[in-house]
Order: sequence, then structure tokens, then C-alpha cells
Amino acid sequence: MPGYRRWLLLRAGGVVFVLWAAATITFFALRLIPGDPAEAILGGPGSQAGPEALAEVRREYGLDQPLAVQYLTYLGRLVRGDLGQSYSLHEPVASAIGEQLGATLTLALCSLVLAWALACALAAWSVRGGRIAWAIGSGLELVAAAVPHFWLATVLILFFSLTLGILPPVSVPGPLGIVLPALTMAIPLAGFLGQVMRESLLTAMESPFVTTARARGESEVRIFWRHTLRHAAIPAVGLSGWAFGSLISGAVVVESVFARQGLGRSLLSAVQLRDVTLVTGIVLVVALAYTVMTLVTDVADRAIDPRVRAVTQ
Amino acid sequence: MPSRRFSRPRAAVVLAAAVALLVSACSPGGGTTTAEPTGEPVSGGTLTYASGDAEPSCLDPHVGGNYPQALIATQYLESLVSLDEDGEVIPWLATEWSESDDGLAWEFSLRDDVTFTDGTPFDAAAVAANIAHVQDPATASSTGYLALAKIVDVVAVDDHTVRLELSAPDSALLESLSQVWVAIQSPTALERSQEENCAAPVGTGPFVVDEWERQDSVTLVRNDDYNSPPADVAAAAEGADLPYLDSIVWRFIPDSASRYAALQSGEVQVIDNAQPDTIRSAASDDAIEELDAPRPGASNRIELNSGKAPFDDERVREAFIRAVDVDAGIDGLFFGTAERSWSPLSSVEPLSLSLPDLFTVDTDAAADLLDEAGWAERDAEGYRVKDGERLSLDFPVSTNQSIPAEQSLFEQIQADAKEAGFEVNLHPLDLSSWYGALAENDYDLVSAPYTKVGPDVLRILYHSDSITPAPSGYFANLAQVDDAMLDDLLTRASATSNPDERRSMYEQAQRIILDGYYILPLYDQQNHFLYSSTVRGLRAMPTVSTPTFAGAWLVS
Repeated sequence: MPGYRRWLLLRAGGVVFVLWAAATITFFALRLIPGDPAEAILGGPGSQAGPEALAEVRREYGLDQPLAVQYLTYLGRLVRGDLGQSYSLHEPVASAIGEQLGATLTLALCSLVLAWALACALAAWSVRGGRIAWAIGSGLELVAAAVPHFWLATVLILFFSLTLGILPPVSVPGPLGIVLPALTMAIPLAGFLGQVMRESLLTAMESPFVTTARARGESEVRIFWRHTLRHAAIPAVGLSGWAFGSLISGAVVVESVFARQGLGRSLLSAVQLRDVTLVTGIVLVVALAYTVMTLVTDVADRAIDPRVRAVTQ
Repeated sequence: MPSRRFSRPRAAVVLAAAVALLVSACSPGGGTTTAEPTGEPVSGGTLTYASGDAEPSCLDPHVGGNYPQALIATQYLESLVSLDEDGEVIPWLATEWSESDDGLAWEFSLRDDVTFTDGTPFDAAAVAANIAHVQDPATASSTGYLALAKIVDVVAVDDHTVRLELSAPDSALLESLSQVWVAIQSPTALERSQEENCAAPVGTGPFVVDEWERQDSVTLVRNDDYNSPPADVAAAAEGADLPYLDSIVWRFIPDSASRYAALQSGEVQVIDNAQPDTIRSAASDDAIEELDAPRPGASNRIELNSGKAPFDDERVREAFIRAVDVDAGIDGLFFGTAERSWSPLSSVEPLSLSLPDLFTVDTDAAADLLDEAGWAERDAEGYRVKDGERLSLDFPVSTNQSIPAEQSLFEQIQADAKEAGFEVNLHPLDLSSWYGALAENDYDLVSAPYTKVGPDVLRILYHSDSITPAPSGYFANLAQVDDAMLDDLLTRASATSNPDERRSMYEQAQRIILDGYYILPLYDQQNHFLYSSTVRGLRAMPTVSTPTFAGAWLVS
């Protein structure tokens, strides 16, 4: 057990480091781009700010302080758990994120589940359909993994909303509204997960334990679900942590196209408005979600794969 | 990860799938062919509006003050005066007004039967509180602040008479007061924190802000006690119990294709920021109507930075303008949805002056002018050269403000200019970087929108005072026009109350701007709304062309 505790401690330290690095890089990256946030705060396009208004804004948000002071002030606040005030939303960053976090997490989780379902279904079908089905399956995965979210969203809207008329083209309250956004994110991810699974599926199918199972007279369906899939899932589960992070960045596009609430959209507009506190807050949340998900998948790996358990125990 | 060698078959499959879907989507569907009669207004119902403009960060247009705020605030806030279709100032919350002989004081009589939706009465004290709010640096007002810049004191003569005292005569005062950025809000509500007021401003308008679900929608509900439409609306809807709609769901749908799909599928009834290709395809759809309402103020134009080389030489500016064929670009890229402009002012401004002859394409003349100006040589790539320097122009483009069609237009202009020997470097930038490039004088060409009611916008954009940057580095005179005669005309025009003198001075001012080849006018600021034919009575305000639903209804 000391080994396990040490492993966890190291991981926790890693989380803190990732968060600090994310906060610092975001802070300076945004400050290095030329441009004056004060101007953007005052309305941006089509409006023009008077000198008094600008001075007030700079004072209120500490933009008149030296960069180092702004950075230290910012870090100090972060340590106290204060994410600051979003100047583009006129509300605290924590509450702004709180309002949007649920929508993005729901979307990311639905997409992840859907991606797994699609990947497994395709694998289950193609593994039992002989050489041609296998080729079609892996071809579909290649295509799916490569399509850009933006294009896929447009195609799905054309087909399901305008041609068939069965799903709304923009987000609506209730479960119906999440179908197209989740599908848009799930399809490329399913292709990617499927490709990873397929490799190990092949190895598994030729492994002695499958031959043994067959010899015992287990049905092909049972062999697939109990043995080969379980084996093939291991690398894909490990990738799910990474996938979760990528889903949140994919949400930037998908949330905008489907006019869905969420962190991705907040991030986009916050970057455009040079709302440093909000951008950093969101990046921190994403970094946290990413590291936590990686931790979870590592734990899951231990549960699925006895070999990992043996190493980390 | 997929390896490269699969890319060709993969692309083919993707393409095939796309074509199949597009074909199936384009095949004729339902759609009515019979136009329904306009009929009697119907009360009730919820209308969903989808905006492609940015979601405001504050619903109170005193704070900041940009177009997205004006769009939505028109539904719940009202101003002292409005404009009619002819651009004449008409009564709204103020019933009449008079200017003192010296032009330094204006007295407004106010309606005495109007109440804000929080129960606060509308009176002289409310007007005073609003002007103080806009002028308070803590409010951080930009557009409204400029509009009220000359007001130094507000006196409540009695409960329903208010006197505005000015530092200098202001012929644009009434036009400025008609704008939604200086609309009148409940003084009780203004005393709340800015956070609270931004979330739910309180006015006297036909609708009331009920709930704001960030990054999704704002719900507006009917103001049951509404009694104060502007004079023209009141006359048109006499005896009617306005507004007809129960509520409006104001959604934010940034993607233009999704916005149009939402309209087609009936998810929403009205969309703004309709793109040229969408407007064209909507024209063949009987279930969808279009409302074209160009914005007032300045036209969309390219400013030539005359403050530094090479455009400090008028011959080079003229050569550039003569070399590029704007008409062809607009025809090709905007599908007939935008009309060419030859004026610094929007075509909806009654005093706008067009001088098309100055903009005739003449490549020979352009070549001669460049030879004359010393750019006689060409380098290996065909660009003009002088003293070993290439004739190179930087053109930062704000991708937040320029729609794709406009960005393509700039590319066509770039190609035309290349023929004449200009190297135009287009720099697509996000909003903040774009402001940064302007502040550092790092541009030769730039296109920036500016919406304001009335020709006084010329003073903001072309008076030499506007070359002096604000502390942020931003300045409005992007063409950097520095002309004493123009300054004098613009100053005097903003002070005179004689309409003939005013007209003549603004005409001369526009002539100087156009004659000097400081700008290349393109077209009016586009404001196209598409709406379902179930929506009736929708109109755009003659002030800043925002849509108003005060007299709109839905037929089932």
C-alpha cells in the first residue's frame, strides 16, 4: 500500500503543477498579444470609448499595474480560490463558469458514452462479418476519425433537421436538443477509439485464451463481449482521459454551431474579448477536468487489467 | 492516428457522402405558394428571435454601448424622441421641445402618464438620473457618453419639464437622444449594482426583461401596462392594446448556417445578420420574408491612412482607388443584396452626398499617377518600387466585424491592386489584435463600422481632433484626415440650427473627404433580417435600424 499512496501523492502534485502551468501560460500568452482589453471591455465593435471611461476601466480591473504585479495579484487570488471578476460578463468568473460547466460536462459525457457505444457496436459487427466487414469497419473508423466537427455538424443538421425534420438544428431544452451536438462530437471520437480497439482486438482474437474459450465451447458472442472486447478496451480506456480533454475543446465549435450553452462558447468569446480572468478560469477548469479524468482512467485501467494492478500495488 | 496514404480514398468517401446529403437536402420540400392576407392583428403567442450578433455582456446599453445591446434593448427601453421614416424627429417620451436662442439650452416637455415597469414614475428627475448615469465614468459608457458630451447640466424645471444645458450648441442633440444607447431607464433600478442592472434593466418599453440564461437566451415578457410607443407607432396602431405578443425568446445563435436552419425548421421566427447567400436562397422560399434595414451613420468604407507614406501622397491614394473595381466584387459576392455606396454616409442619412465620378475605375490613370508620384519601377513580381522600396500596404481585417463576403471582397481588391503594382497584405485579426494594430498606426488600409444617427458622425470620424488617440491608443479618424477647412466646417455644422446652412456645410465636408481620396466607400452597413411569414407587423426603427416588436404579431 505505501507504493499506492506514493503513486497517488505524486499524481496529486502533478495536478497542482499542471494547474499552475496552465494559469501562468494562459495569463502571459493573452498579455503578449497586442491590443488593449480596456477598449474591448467598453463595447468593442461600433462603439468608441472616452478617455475617462477607459481610465476607469483600467483602474477597476488593475490593467494600469505593471505586468508582474498583475500576475502576482492574480496568482495570490487563485491560491485563495478566488477566480476573479469577468469583465466581459460583469459577474464573478466562478459563477460564470458554474452556469456553463454543467452543460459542457453533460455534453462531453454523453459524447463519450455515445462514442463508446458506436465504437463497440461497429467492432462487434465487423469482427463477426469476415474480412470484408472488417475492412468496411476499419474504413468507416478512418473516415469518422478524420471528419472535422464543423463539417459534420452541418451535414447532420442538413440531414436530420432539414431533410428528415426529426431533430432540432439548434439546441432546445430537453434530451432531444443534445442528440445532434453529442453525435457530432461522438462520431470522430468513436472512429479514433475504434481504430485503437481494432488493433488489440486482432491480437486478442488470435490469443491462446480465445482459442481456449472456443475449445471450452463458449459461444462467439460470449467470447467477444467477455474476452476479446475486454482486452481490446484497455488501451481505449486509457485514451478516454485524453478524449475527455479533447471533447471540451471540441465543444468550442459544437456549442457555437448548435447555439448550446457551455464552457466552449464562453472560452471563444472570452478570448475574443481578451477577458483574461475568464479565459484563465476556464483553462484551469479544463485542466482540472483533464487531470482528474486521466486519474480516473488510470484507476479504471487497474480495475480492467490485472497486469497494471500488479505493477502499481 | 490515420496515416497519410489513406487521405485520397477518405476524401472521396467524405465527398460522396456530402454530395448525397446535399442533393437530398436540396430536393423540393413542402412550402406554401399562396400568400396569406395580412389580416387583423392577433394577440398572444411567443416569438423566438435568433441573433447572430455577439451576446451583450450587459443588457443596459448605457454600459459600453454597441449594436448587439441596441438590438435587444429596443424591446424594453424607450428614448425621449424618435425619428419617422423621413428622418424627422418625432415625440416619444418627450412630447415637445424647444431650443434657446443661443443654442445653449433645450427644454423638453415629458409625458406625465408613463410608468417604468418597476412602478417608478417617469418624470424630469428620471431623465436627470439617466443623463448622470451615462456621464458617470463608473458606468463606462462609450457611445452614449459621446452622444451626450455637450450636456453640462440637467435642471428639473417642474415634474414633467426638463432643461438640458450645453457647453456649446449641438445641432445633433435630438438625433443623439433618439438612440437607444441613451434610452431612459428607471432611476430606482439604476441605483442597484451594475451587475444587477446589467442583468435586468428596467424601462418603459413594450417588453420586460424576465430572465437571462447566459449563452442561450433572454426571455422578454409583455409589459401589460404599456402606453408609450413613439408617435408614428401610436398613430398606426390607434386603439390597439400593444404589444400583441405575450413574450419574446431572444436567442444567440452565432453560426449563420445554424441560424438559417433554425428559421427554416420553424425553431425560430426571426433571424438577423442574414448572409448574402442565405438571403438569396431565402428569396425563393415563400415561407420566409426579408427586411432590409441598412444602418445609419457611416457607410462601410475602406479608410486610406493619409498620416504616413505612401498614402500621405494624394496621387497614390487616387491611384489605389482608381485601380480597384469595387462594383464587380459587390455584384459577385453579395448576390445583389448590397448596393454600392459613393458616400461617407449611409444612404439612409438624408444629408448623404454621393460622388460616383470620383470612383470610376481607370487603370491607365492609376498607372500615370503612380509614375508621377515616383513609383515608376516594377520589381520582379510586378510590384511598384521607389528607392528600392516596394509599394506595400498593410490591411488589418477584423474577422469579428467583417463577414466572409466582405473578406472575399477585400481579397478581390487585393488582386485588382496587384495589377496596378500595389502589394496589399491582408491581416485577418481578432478584435483585440485589430485594435492593437490600429493603435500602433500599423495599417495603411482599414475598414471599421460606425453607427450613429445623423451626419455628425462625420465630426467623430474625420475631425483632426479624432487623430489624437485616447489613452488606450484608439482613435476614430482612421484615415487620419487633417484638414483645417474640414475641421472648421464640421465644428460649425454641429453648432448651427439653420437646416440649410447645416445641409450645405455637411455637403462641403463630404466633398472634401471624397475629393481628397481619403476613403473608398463600399456599401451601407448591412442589416438584413429574415423572418417567417407567420410574423406580421415587424419593422425596423428609423433611428439605428434595430427591429421592434411593439406592433408585431404571429398568425398561426
